[in-house]
Amino acid sequence: MDDIGFILATYIATFAGSVLLATYYLRRARRLAAQLPPEDKPWI
Amino acid sequence: MTDNAVTHQQVIAAAASPAPTVAGTGQRRASASGTPFTRALGIATIIAMAVLLLFGLFLSPADVVQGESVRILYIHVGTVWVAYVAFGMTAISSAAFLWKRTTSLTWDRIAGASAEVGVLFMALTLFAGALWGRLAWGKFWVWDARVTTTAFLFISYIGYLAVRGLGGSHQQRGRRSAVVALLAVLEIPLVHFSVKLWRGLHQDSSVADTTHVKLHDLMLFSLFLALVAFTLLYAWLVIHRQRVMAMQDALDDKGLDYALQQRRREGDL
Repeated sequence: MDDIGFILATYIATFAGSVLLATYYLRRARRLAAQLPPEDKPWI
Repeated sequence: MTDNAVTHQQVIAAAASPAPTVAGTGQRRASASGTPFTRALGIATIIAMAVLLLFGLFLSPADVVQGESVRILYIHVGTVWVAYVAFGMTAISSAAFLWKRTTSLTWDRIAGASAEVGVLFMALTLFAGALWGRLAWGKFWVWDARVTTTAFLFISYIGYLAVRGLGGSHQQRGRRSAVVALLAVLEIPLVHFSVKLWRGLHQDSSVADTTHVKLHDLMLFSLFLALVAFTLLYAWLVIHRQRVMAMQDALDDKGLDYALQQRRREGDL
């Protein structure tokens, strides 16, 4: 299977990119939430 | 703005308090932008992605013409679908923001969050397409109508995000970027129909064309699975990003008040 490198690169880039973005959002949310009162977080 | 119904003292008290903890344990809460719904959505996304991985890499068969490289298309089609949905949502939210009856900053934040996620998925679409193109056409990049218009769309939304980053009030940011979003979305029909308008290398839709192309059931299922999995991921990312933006905006609104209060308190000591 000669194409394996290209296929794996596609899947790894997609999944890693998604996980990195999700992690970034969660970390940023945690940092900002620590500085705000509950009234500014109506979803909680 | 109705969002700012808290007193300065509350802001200061909250800023001075430690990060939220799970009652009685001292452990930090798992997510500050999460709810039971987003947690369920996250679990559904992880399961859908795992199943996509299984079908995309192992269970779906190789294509008669493309061979194993067809597996790249499950990612390519899924990511470009989400990019289209994201940019469409950006346009709808921007129109809602500009409409006088619904001029809430929430619409602006949904537009911005959706565009940001769309740009990521458009980048992944171009990356997957380049790798597939190297296997199918022998080149990472060709100046084909579909490929070129897609790259142009990608650059347009990077421009949209740059416009969002310009200075001014939140209302100014919303109005300015909404206009750009409503112009940028006009490129999507051009990208989609470029394969019909101009002769090029990029293939037309395989699923819709049932007269010339017959997809294997497992291939069709894998494609459908990719659409579902990436749509769930998109929803999860946009909800969280929108909430992060809401918190950032709230902090921007109160940041100066907080700094002034802190200075006064220091002066009283």
